[in-house]
Amino acid sequence: MESIIGIKGKDFVMLAADSTHPHSIMVLKDDENKIHKISDSLLIAATGDAGDTVQFVEYISKNILLYKMRNGYELSPKAAAYFTRKNLADYLRTRYAYQVWLLVAGYDKKEGPQLTFIDYLANTLSVKHGAHGYGGMFCGSIFDKYHHDNLTQDEAYEIMRKCAREIQKRLIISQPRFHVQVVDTNGVKRLEDITTENLKD
Amino acid sequence: MALNDILKHMPSINDAYNDFKACEELSFANLTQNKVLSVPPYCNPVENLAKLQEGNSDVKIHFDHGTTTLGFIYQGGVVMAVDSRATGGQYIGSQSVRKVVEINDLLLGTLAGGAADCTYWYRVLTSECRLYELRNKKKISLAAATKIMNNIIYSYKNSGLSMGMILAGGDMNQVSLYYLDSDGTRTTGKVFSVGSGSIFALGVLDSGYKWDLKDEDAYELGRRSIYHATHRDAYSGGTVRVYHVKKDGWNLISEEDCLNLHRRYQAEKNN
Amino acid sequence: MARRYDSRTTIFSPEGRLYQVEYAMEAISHAGTCLGILAKDGILLAAERRNINKLLDNSIFAEKIYRLNEDMVCSVAGITSDANVLTNELRVIAQRYQLQYDEPIPVEQLVSSLCDVKQAYTQYGGKRPFGVSILYMGWDKHYGYQLYQSDPSGNYSGWKATCIGNNAAAAVSVLKQELNETPIPLGDAEDLAIKVLAKTLDMTKLSSEKIEMSTLQRDGDATTIKILSNAEVDKLIAKYEKIQAEEEAAKKEKLAQQQQQQQK
Repeated sequence: MESIIGIKGKDFVMLAADSTHPHSIMVLKDDENKIHKISDSLLIAATGDAGDTVQFVEYISKNILLYKMRNGYELSPKAAAYFTRKNLADYLRTRYAYQVWLLVAGYDKKEGPQLTFIDYLANTLSVKHGAHGYGGMFCGSIFDKYHHDNLTQDEAYEIMRKCAREIQKRLIISQPRFHVQVVDTNGVKRLEDITTENLKD
Repeated sequence: MALNDILKHMPSINDAYNDFKACEELSFANLTQNKVLSVPPYCNPVENLAKLQEGNSDVKIHFDHGTTTLGFIYQGGVVMAVDSRATGGQYIGSQSVRKVVEINDLLLGTLAGGAADCTYWYRVLTSECRLYELRNKKKISLAAATKIMNNIIYSYKNSGLSMGMILAGGDMNQVSLYYLDSDGTRTTGKVFSVGSGSIFALGVLDSGYKWDLKDEDAYELGRRSIYHATHRDAYSGGTVRVYHVKKDGWNLISEEDCLNLHRRYQAEKNN
Repeated sequence: MARRYDSRTTIFSPEGRLYQVEYAMEAISHAGTCLGILAKDGILLAAERRNINKLLDNSIFAEKIYRLNEDMVCSVAGITSDANVLTNELRVIAQRYQLQYDEPIPVEQLVSSLCDVKQAYTQYGGKRPFGVSILYMGWDKHYGYQLYQSDPSGNYSGWKATCIGNNAAAAVSVLKQELNETPIPLGDAEDLAIKVLAKTLDMTKLSSEKIEMSTLQRDGDATTIKILSNAEVDKLIAKYEKIQAEEEAAKKEKLAQQQQQQQK
């Protein structure tokens, strides 16, 4: 399974996601973007069942945009994450449960950065750092050692590189490229991909 | 009533009779409306249909399966290549299946997986694309066409559909390539290959693929990849068809029997 | 002629009017007065209580003012049983939002959601419109303190100060006179509310039995909603009457002085 990673800093949230799209034993494509931009202050990284991830994130994102259209202001990242959780939880109790694992990252001018971890059972936690997938299992100790509350974006990117390097070294599944995006007071920005090649530098 | 009595006396079905009991939720709306496909008229088709395809049952339904299809995008457009064999279990049902569906002047799609599922939904897609044209007075984009298909397929997720489609098309400005499957995946990419022979096709395709390929070389790469798949994969064979999709439409480049190709390539190798 | 068009809400009259909706509005203009004033540091609602039987237990039932959620309050004018249905609906809408987003519903969203319900009752067949106008006061993180009014047609609007019910037009004109662009402190708004009620209610003397008043203020991260006790209302009334008496006395004195000067 693929990896998605999130780190919250003092005034930003950074997400990284590997770019493989596996299909049975095969890599169907190697440049898939799993970090979806919902608005200028909200990102959702999603992994899980092939069709469900895209379908669920689109459903949530269109609803969040509809809210903005109707009311003239945006849903706060906290409310957006709760709304996502609620929908996932409601679908969990139907025959059409979505098998998705999510990291919801947002920045609110009043409330600051917000990173929310949601699994397919709709377990929801507001976290400083989090990860999903087999790759994510290798990241926990890296976060514990290197994360602190006054993290800068450069430091966070360096932690992402550490995580990617560890995944590529220890995980049996090949994940050669990670997309990275950051959300802060200036909006959403895509950073340079972390790849096997540039990790050598 | 009468049918029930007869079925009870058929030993093979009797044991599993409850699996195929009519389910109250079912509708037969597809008799009048072809976009709404009824699931088979008994409970839990995903589970129970599979029993008919396994070895345990005396009654066996073998869906047509086994294919090699590919499509890749390069500087000159998209090349799509397919074989033409349809198999049901060990049996070769046909050697002359047209696995490239010509949706309209601009769009092509390949079919892999359940032949019946693919052809049925391609017919629905074709009609949707034509309706779009009539309503909007312009050709549908590939992005929109694949989204329609994806939404339909996704609504049947986990109902037992089996499909893997590669679609290519131009919209006068550019050519694009999409992959769709019955898991609900819809994604763009440069190189796709689907079917039981895809692992063999990809070996040749990936090693020869470059963006800057010339047209003739691209056709040959597609043809050669399918040929190698027909050679290694028992479920692929027949005629190798190659199509070229450009931004203003598609062309059929070649249709050659894989045996002829085999002879030619062997001769080339021996020289 | 009119009878042909006013028995069903869904049908326009030839002049393009919806009689049932207009009748509902008419019903409200006979109901107890409600007024709201948006102050600088808070907001208040005041209402006239009609049902003042001594045997009625007011600790169980508030007639006019209802709390909707942690930071909204409304007061109603019109048919009380209809109002009960609507306040219940308002509370459900507010909780539904809370359940979906884990935060209190923004004020205007609650008002407009309820107005969708009210509007539906002016359009769908066989229904009678709700004979209720509502004043809403509330706070949200987007726009701060807000005061809204809605009527049976499903229209709503935001106000700095407004009034519904019996004699509303007179009350509004007093409010217009007393207020200008700069918002007043909540304390002054309380005095003003008593003054407006005193001038517009059809009674010789105000009493706390006949008035319900509630204030809403933001304290740090929480909203404080207060329903004034009878003693507090009596205090306000006494204050008003004292000022009134002083003014009256001053006026009399002035008049006497003028008369004296004239005599001289």
